[in-house]
Order: sequence, then C-alpha cells, then structure tokens
Amino acid sequence: MKTILDEVVESVISFNSEKVVENCKKALDISIDPIKVMEDGITKGLRIIGDKYERGELFIMHLIAASEAVKKALTEVIEPKISESKERRRSAGKLVIGTVSGDIHDIGKNIVAAMLFVEGFEVYDLGKDVPCEKFLQKALEVEADIIAMSALLSATMSEQRRIVEALVAEGIRDKLKVMVGGAVVTEEWSRQIGADGYGENAVEAVRVAKRLLGREG
Amino acid sequence: MVKLGSRADMLRVLSDEQLEQIHVATIEVLENTGVHVGSEAIFKVFADGGADVDPRGKTVKIPRHLVEESLEKKPKQIILQGRNPEQGILLEENRVYFGAGGTPVPYFRDVETGKLRTSVKRDMINATILADALSNIDFVMSIAGARDFPEEVQCIHEFEVLFKYTEKPIIYHAPGIVYAEKILKMAEAIVGDREQLRKRPIFSFYCEPVSPLTFYDAHDTMIEAARNHIPITLGIAQIMGATAPITIGGSLVVGNALNLASVVLAQLVSRGAPIIYGNFNNALEPRTAVALMAAPEKPLASACSAQLAQYYDIPSFGVAGQCDSNLPDAQFGAEVMLTSLMNALSGTNLCHDCGYLATGLAGSLEAQMICDEVVGIIARIIEGVEVNDDTLAVDVIHSVGPGGNFLSQSHTLKYVDKALYLSKLFDKTYPATWMKAGSKDVTEIAREKIKKILREYEPRLLPKDIERRLSEILKESEKELVKR
Repeated sequence: MKTILDEVVESVISFNSEKVVENCKKALDISIDPIKVMEDGITKGLRIIGDKYERGELFIMHLIAASEAVKKALTEVIEPKISESKERRRSAGKLVIGTVSGDIHDIGKNIVAAMLFVEGFEVYDLGKDVPCEKFLQKALEVEADIIAMSALLSATMSEQRRIVEALVAEGIRDKLKVMVGGAVVTEEWSRQIGADGYGENAVEAVRVAKRLLGREG
Repeated sequence: MVKLGSRADMLRVLSDEQLEQIHVATIEVLENTGVHVGSEAIFKVFADGGADVDPRGKTVKIPRHLVEESLEKKPKQIILQGRNPEQGILLEENRVYFGAGGTPVPYFRDVETGKLRTSVKRDMINATILADALSNIDFVMSIAGARDFPEEVQCIHEFEVLFKYTEKPIIYHAPGIVYAEKILKMAEAIVGDREQLRKRPIFSFYCEPVSPLTFYDAHDTMIEAARNHIPITLGIAQIMGATAPITIGGSLVVGNALNLASVVLAQLVSRGAPIIYGNFNNALEPRTAVALMAAPEKPLASACSAQLAQYYDIPSFGVAGQCDSNLPDAQFGAEVMLTSLMNALSGTNLCHDCGYLATGLAGSLEAQMICDEVVGIIARIIEGVEVNDDTLAVDVIHSVGPGGNFLSQSHTLKYVDKALYLSKLFDKTYPATWMKAGSKDVTEIAREKIKKILREYEPRLLPKDIERRLSEILKESEKELVKR
C-alpha cells in the first residue's frame, strides 16, 4: 500500500512540480509533521535522483529538473508550516550564490546552485549582475556559511576580489567561507584574492562546498 | 591588394528546405518571444528603429520586415584589413580563411616545461609573433591573456599586443563602451584619425551577445563599432541543453535569432555597417557540466551555421583548431582536424581558435603551430580536384604506356609544385630515418621550430612614436579604470 509520502517521493522523481505541491498538501492535511514530509518525502526523492546521478543513470539536467520540481512545494507549502512549528529543517549548510556585478553569464552558477540544493544545502540564489552590497546583505541576513560567486569575463573577475575585501572590511570574513568559479577563474586566482575554495566545474564545486563545511567530498 | 581565400562548398548538412524551416522558426522567435535588452543604449536603438518594445520587461520583439530590411542593408562582402594592406582578406560567400586563437584564456602551456600555468602578456606577445610568422594563419586573435595586469585593463593590454606584433587582420573583444573607446583611440593613432579608420578599419570588434536572446551593457561596443563602420564579428555561443534547446535545430534557432537581432541593431545604427555572422553550439557534458568544444555535435552544427550565413549572404565566423584535450596529444590531433575540417568544408569565411586547448581554457604555442599544419592540409583539400584535358593527361598515359612510370614526364614536372601539399611540420619519414633524427614526436618538433621562429623572426613593428602613443593610452586607461 502506497503512503502519501511515497506519492511525494514519486512526484519528485518524476519531476512533476504540480504533483509535488498537491501531494505535500495532502500529507499536511492528514496532519503529517511538515519536517517528516520534508525528509521522508522531498529529501528522500532528491536523494534517489542524486544516487542515480552518482551511478551514471541520470544526468545533471535531471538534478536540475528535480530541484526545480520541489521548489514551489518547499517555499509555498512546507516552509511556511515549518516556520510555524519553530522547528528547523536539517540543512547541509547555508549558501548565498550569484554572478557578480557587470556579468550576466549565469548558466554555470545555476547548475551549481541546483546541485548544491539537491545535496541538501539551503541555497539563496541572488541571480546575475549582483552588486557587492547585496552579497553582503544577504549573507548577514541568513547567516550564511558560504558565499559563492561566479564571473565569466576577465573584466568582471575583480568584483570577486572586491567582495572578499568588503567582507574583511565589514569584519565578517572569518564568519563564512568564500567560493569562486566561472570560466576565467583559476585555483591561483582563488588563492590570490583570499577565497577559500574554487570549483572548476559544477561537480567539483559541490565537493568543495562540502569540504569547506567539514563534510565528506 | 587583398588575399582571396579558396572557396569551399564540399559539405552541405542542411537541405534548402531545412534552411528555410530554421529561418521561419527564427522569425517566429524574434516576433513572438523577442530578445531581452539590458542595455539602455541598445534598447533605445531598437525602440527608435520601430521594433515592438516593452520598457518594463526590457523586451524587444523584432517584426519580420525589420529583419528583412536589415538583411538587405548589411554588406555581403567585407574586407578585413590588416595593418599591412597586403594582408587584408576578402570575406564573401564561401571563401575560407584560418585564424589563431580567440578570446583570452586563463591557462597557458609553458613551452619550456610543457605544464599549464597562468597566462601572461609575454605569452600573448610570443603567440602573436608566431601567428604573424605562420604562413597558413590569415588573421589573429589570442591564445593567451595579460593576466599579469589588473583585470580592468587586461583587454586593452591584449589589444596593444595585437596592434604591435602582427600586420595581419585582428579580431578582438572589448566588452563595453569604455573599452571600445580606448581601442578606437589606439587604432586612430595607428592609421591617422577616425576618418582614416572608417575607410580602412585595421581590426574587427569581437562581440558576444549572450544566449539565450540577451543583450546587456557590454554589447554597447556594437553601437560604437557600427557607428564607425568597424566590422563587428559575432560569436554567439549557446550550450545545447543549457542556454539553448538540446537539439541542434533548436540551438541553431536560438543562435540565429540573436545573430539576426544583432544585424538589425547594427543596421539601425548605421546602414551598411559591416557585421559577421557567428553561431556556435557547444555541447554540455551531462555528467560534469563541462561545455564541450569538440563534441561531434558542435562541428556538425558549425557546418549548419556556415550554411545559414550563406543563406543570408552574410560573411561568417566559425572555428578551426577547437579541442577538448588538455594537451597537444592524439586526442587533440583528432579533435582539431574534425572541428577545422567541418568548418572549412562548409565554406566558413573565418575559422578561428587555432592554438586553443582544453575547451578554450588554455593556449599553447605548440598547438598553434600544429594547427597551422592542419589548416594547411585542409586548405589543400578545399582546393578540390581539377578535371580537364590536361589534368586527365590521356596523352601522357598513352606515351608512358602499360608498365612504365611517370616520374620524369614533363607533365609530372609541370604539376609537382602545386599538385602536392608539402608538409612543413609533420614527420613523413620512414622509421630508420625517424630514429636517426632522434625519434621525436610532432610536439617536440613544433617546440624546436617555435624557438627558432621566436629567436629569428622579426615582425614589422609600429613606428616608435605610435608605440609610445599606445603606451600612453594604456597608462591613461590604467589610471582611469583600475580600482585598487
């Protein structure tokens, strides 16, 4: 006999956003704890997708489709209930991510954000052409563990350095980790500007994020 | 006098009907979906030019008639000028030319150690001198980057290197009006003034509107270029399955739409503004998210892009020498031949990127030299086969007769120079000779030749006073732009 939580899992692994919303609502209607819906429904579904990706059965596009399929249910259905109950969902870490000011190349950043989300990170995606102040403001507001920023042009790389310098100036550099990425960025650049980690591609970026927070990877 | 590249129409991937289908789909996208324009200056050009604009969403829908009128106005032929007028190349229809490098890269393969390290301005100087010396390279971009200079002015340093060390036509990027102005100043210093530059532009601005369907401030360079009739070389690149549909057809449509929107933009700024079509379709490695340059789908799509440019009768920008390999190895050889050949056989005018490694994240002098040989071979291929009474040589066959040989025939002597491609780099010896010569592989041979060229070759430099003026412009730019 399939439970409603099985239905949530199924709708996640079939990338059906509307069904995820519908099934989550049903589960909450019969008074299942929202944390349980989250963990035994949504997170379980994402983990299945993640494992299949690890085994080479699914691709990066599937990870992204899964992360998008659960977004609406999370923000509109589950999270309001969780904040009512004052309990916290378990998270791998909080990460603020964006493409730096002057740059609108965001496909790599989007892939990294989705993969981190599937891995259980709380991801705050600020989008593209993001001013320095916005990175800082969001990081402070959510008490981020990591700031991750992407740049695709040599002319916009310097924004990454500017943000690291701003973190130092604000006295919060030690409170969080900084990751950089983007086609023009290298390990050497990352060291030069005093970032903590560099992901050459999306898969690597996830590993680095986990490592920075002392998890496996 | 300009150089005339060989014509090539040996490869046609799309039928006329398929080309028409792609065109119709593209018009539908431009009319119904439109493009997003983040730049106020570009938005204004479209708005004033009669496009259907929505200032709130910053979207611009481009009606069919505007596309058609712009395609009428744009030039069918462009001469890409070099600093030396004899190095100019005529772009039209299906004439093929090959170029070194592209936009700057973070890594460079050190020619002494064979290791990848951060690229510096000296690397770009060496690469530019080598490109100037290599006989199959017709135009020059970059396989390095001035990463030892502040990020805000790297592209100005890179332009300076190109202006100084090669007389061949230059194509290079200047992302944004601030940069475009500095580069125009440099070029004016070289040719005399703005009016001279307009008559004889000695470079082309490389511009990369962002797929899917987006312009922003960095593309204001296109307005400045069009206004001054500096040729715009478009390098509109999609990643199939990420920034465009995963199917080649859909990806071509996305790239084609932004190309046509760019043509409209340029013609609205100035009727007859020279602009070159470029529609690149990279593949996303679905396990690692690496954007591949040499997946088979990319050169296949490149051949289609060349056909689309010919369909619109607009000069085209494509690739040669692209690879995913991190070093000049066997994979590199296979990939560069594939990518270069597919582009050339379909009659792409400008085949660039010779000397790139690692999906375009690294450059290498050895790779550039090996690509010079590869494109030399390809240039021979596209010459094709001449069939007439003299080449069929029935008389000669008759006079030699069964069992004879053709070695000393005057017919053989007459054709031996032009009938055969003579390799300049690749080893074509038998084993004993090869072993006696040190059993070297092609990369090693290339390295030796490169060192000799860099020691001995003397590029024709600019007059001292002009060099000084370029340095001044650089200094002024650093003062103005470097933030720290």
